[in-house]
Amino acid sequence: MAMRVTTQRRVFQGVGNGALVLMLLWTAIPFYWMIATSLKHDKEIYGYEATLIPQRPTLDNYATVFRETPYLLFLRNSLAVAAGSTLLSMVIAVLGAYAIARLNFPGRALLARSLVFTYLVPTSLLFIPMFAMMSVLRLTDSLHGLIIAYLGFDVPFCTWLLMGYFKSVPVDLEEAARVDGCNRVGALVRIVLPMSLPALVVVTFFSFTHAWNEFLYAHVFTSTTSARTVTTGLVNFMSQDVFFWGPLMASTVMSALPPVLMFLVFQRWVVKGLTLGGVKG
Amino acid sequence: MATYTTVSLPLPSSRRGLGSWGDRVQRVLMHDRILGYLFLFPALLVIVGLVAYPFASAIVMTFQAKTAGAPGRFIGLDNYRELLQSEQFLRAVVNTVSYTAIGVGLKFLLGLSMALVLNQERFCNNLFRSFLLIPWAIPTVMSALNWRWIFDDASGLINNILVRLELIEETISWLSNPHLAMLSVITVVIWQGTPFFTMSFLAGLQAIPKELYEAAEIDGASVLQQFSNITLPRLRPIFITAVMLSAILTSAGIQFVLILTNGGPSDRTMIFPVLAYHLALGGAQRLGMGAAVSLIFFPILIVFIVFLTRRMLREKGE
Amino acid sequence: MPTTRREILKTAGKTATVLTATAPWWLVRRAHAARQAKLVVWNPAALAPQVDKIMQEQCYAYAKQAGIKESEIDYQIIGGPQLLPKLVAALEAGNPPDITRLGGGYVQLYRSQGHLLEVTDLVNRMQKLQGGLFPVSMPSVMHQNKAWGVPQSISPWPLVTRLDLLEAAKVDPPKTWEEFVEVCKKLQKPPKLTGFGLCLGLQNDTDNNVMNMIWCYGGKLVEADNKTVALHSKGTIAAVQLIADMFNKHKIIPKGAIAWDNTGNNKAYQSRQVIFVLNPTSIYAHLADSDKELYNVTGLLPVPAGPAGAVEALTTAEWLLFKHNPYPEVAKGLAEYWMAPENLRVMIEEGDGRWGPPFKNMYDSKFWKRPVFQHWRVMLERGRQFPAPGTVNPAAGEVLATYTIGRMMHRVLVESWNVEKAVVEAHKKVAEIYARYQGA
Repeated sequence: MAMRVTTQRRVFQGVGNGALVLMLLWTAIPFYWMIATSLKHDKEIYGYEATLIPQRPTLDNYATVFRETPYLLFLRNSLAVAAGSTLLSMVIAVLGAYAIARLNFPGRALLARSLVFTYLVPTSLLFIPMFAMMSVLRLTDSLHGLIIAYLGFDVPFCTWLLMGYFKSVPVDLEEAARVDGCNRVGALVRIVLPMSLPALVVVTFFSFTHAWNEFLYAHVFTSTTSARTVTTGLVNFMSQDVFFWGPLMASTVMSALPPVLMFLVFQRWVVKGLTLGGVKG
Repeated sequence: MATYTTVSLPLPSSRRGLGSWGDRVQRVLMHDRILGYLFLFPALLVIVGLVAYPFASAIVMTFQAKTAGAPGRFIGLDNYRELLQSEQFLRAVVNTVSYTAIGVGLKFLLGLSMALVLNQERFCNNLFRSFLLIPWAIPTVMSALNWRWIFDDASGLINNILVRLELIEETISWLSNPHLAMLSVITVVIWQGTPFFTMSFLAGLQAIPKELYEAAEIDGASVLQQFSNITLPRLRPIFITAVMLSAILTSAGIQFVLILTNGGPSDRTMIFPVLAYHLALGGAQRLGMGAAVSLIFFPILIVFIVFLTRRMLREKGE
Repeated sequence: MPTTRREILKTAGKTATVLTATAPWWLVRRAHAARQAKLVVWNPAALAPQVDKIMQEQCYAYAKQAGIKESEIDYQIIGGPQLLPKLVAALEAGNPPDITRLGGGYVQLYRSQGHLLEVTDLVNRMQKLQGGLFPVSMPSVMHQNKAWGVPQSISPWPLVTRLDLLEAAKVDPPKTWEEFVEVCKKLQKPPKLTGFGLCLGLQNDTDNNVMNMIWCYGGKLVEADNKTVALHSKGTIAAVQLIADMFNKHKIIPKGAIAWDNTGNNKAYQSRQVIFVLNPTSIYAHLADSDKELYNVTGLLPVPAGPAGAVEALTTAEWLLFKHNPYPEVAKGLAEYWMAPENLRVMIEEGDGRWGPPFKNMYDSKFWKRPVFQHWRVMLERGRQFPAPGTVNPAAGEVLATYTIGRMMHRVLVESWNVEKAVVEAHKKVAEIYARYQGA
């Protein structure tokens, strides 16, 4: 019997490897196209002379991005907004999720269920009343305004996701801690959080990439160049001309790096967290 | 699930002797109800201020004939009546449902497969994980533009390759052929959105203790049996969460369709958020109509969500 | 405890509701008064980068002369597709820019909603310069003898042509649409080179291109009374049928044209994939800087004639000045500065003819007497705007902005509808739109 399972495992491992290769290709090819386009001259990008592999690779497009646009400023803004909204939404969501998952108070079930409804209105419509509100609160054209705007999107999701994960953490450990004299906050910080590390990573990543990718609010709420993020600043500059694909792809390649690097860093934390957690049963 | 209300516990030694303020704080921290509201307060503030209020404005707008910068004129259900009789709107409903169903379904399957694969022991797994995350890391707008370029008639990657390999004579219009347009858009949606599923499922998989599998193996369970008896039940809450969120976000996302096809050709890829956007910003800029389009979709989404949350909460009750 | 709490909550709830219900309009006014910039400009990109630069320089020069510091100016160059969402949101919030540039009937639309600044004095002053303004510029800005926008440019849409290809094949420029089809079939080399880059995507280029051909066959959108919709006619059907044949039978239009955005035909011509396009001079001006070779062999020819004659499409653009502006004189001054003939000449000539000036006598300059512009005068005189013989008004604006004509073409080319059926449906839609605006 054990033999059969080992063979089965080997088969699945092989299938897994094959699937992995396919997925890597699937992910890589469009990304390759992005990189290749960013390294090509205009003539190689457009028309029927378009090449698959850059014949005369050039860094001109990257130079154009830095020359014609304040890219570093955009980058700094994007990072600031992403970090700020992630941090804030994490704190708010952790507290809220813990409350719904563990604490008993009236209205708990209703809240748990109604969280999801906050997503039903698409941002493609919310942006108009939101903008009116931001104007009144003098939050337009500012990075902190954007951070606050993004909270509306991040907090419900993070709360909801963490709520699910917190509930799956066994209550016994917390009960044990509380018998030992720990209060709720302590239980939260010392027991629940470390055990939900994978979930926290997912949620952090989600908030970060959402802020990083977000276009509509950033576009409408900020006008001055000094407050623009990577997505809006570049698209705005680029759509002013007919042939902008080269520089646009160059900026896209550069813009994709921070979230990926971030994940590389978090990867190790996740593994470490699991081995420290001492989860049993 | 065991619940705690006010229970008198001996104060931890470090707190003894702090005086009445310390006692009061301690009492608050022990009292579930107050603590609950306290913890929840920031989240509620965000939700009411940043979601409920604009949402309410939008609802009011649907009953008005409203253009930008002027107060709306109340017209009752006229917007809704006009929409329900509009062929374009009904087509958008059908398109949205199929687009979302296919998109989320494929993302789910691919994401689950990838999560299972990445969960296997392998050299350099971390690198592969990070690499597969790239589509999600790229700003949606730029990803959509890139794919628009890939699908391009003349200079696009796909046509380029197909022509070079002499597989086709005439280039394929991925985005303007009525039979291919929707599939092309869904392809991009999948490329961009699968990492979310992969990540969520992977986190769930890694939280399942290895001992369970070892025990099952000793009992003689096959790999597939282990999968269906251990893995699947444990992942179910995450399945439901991911599918629900993805369905909502996918059906409401406008960037892919706007950039790739703008709803065309001939409304073949028109989904309801794009329709709302067009109505609100095109022509007479009828904000009320735009809002009404989104709101009509609510009943469908609400039914879907209620159905799923009920299943999830039922699971939690065990 | 619970009772008191409930009561508190109830009062809080009531207060909040009252505040929320009354908040919008008066709060928004207050936000606007607090802005710091003396001049807020949202200038949409001209698709020819050198022109964007010139306009910005001129704006700053004006500001200096008006005693405004650079830090008090908020100047934005905004990509075409991004302008409208920002504008709508800004109008809703009560703080639109001071000045922006739009074509397609938006002056009349926003005027009817009460957003615009009256600029009759400015326009009257312009009428005294350089022989005055072309009559075709006026309907877009005038309403009941008052001017609500500043005419910025007139752009005929010639047949942009690869003269070198015609020469090489020893072929004369086509005089009728039948000849045109033959020339295309003879000269094109699919898939690399296609004949006619007719825009068929869901955007404004399409509406203007298709309507152009409809006029050549005797059709039109609406009668001069701006009420009677006249789309359904033999002329319209003939023109649409011609386009369908060009697409399906003769195959002289690239298949991808159905999905083109507002730069689709520009890109197609500039990357040498098509021989002919119908477009204003944005392509030509761009080539001046980016591709001198192609620039030198590009001709701007009159449109081929149909049974009802030959006529070009004409679009105008206007400066819109918004009312919610604490410094209206500054904005008006800027518009006047930009439109002062000396400055305008610089922008046009150094901008390589991106637009045509709206002043009659400015076409007598050396720039406009160049051989490539030899047909310009004719085109200006016989060119028509989209709703002709009707005038540009909010109804026409909505027809344009909802891509009614584009959708009609998609019915025929994508859904394979019978041409007359599609025309009848489009006619009905246009009639509905016009009916809604009766009395605007």
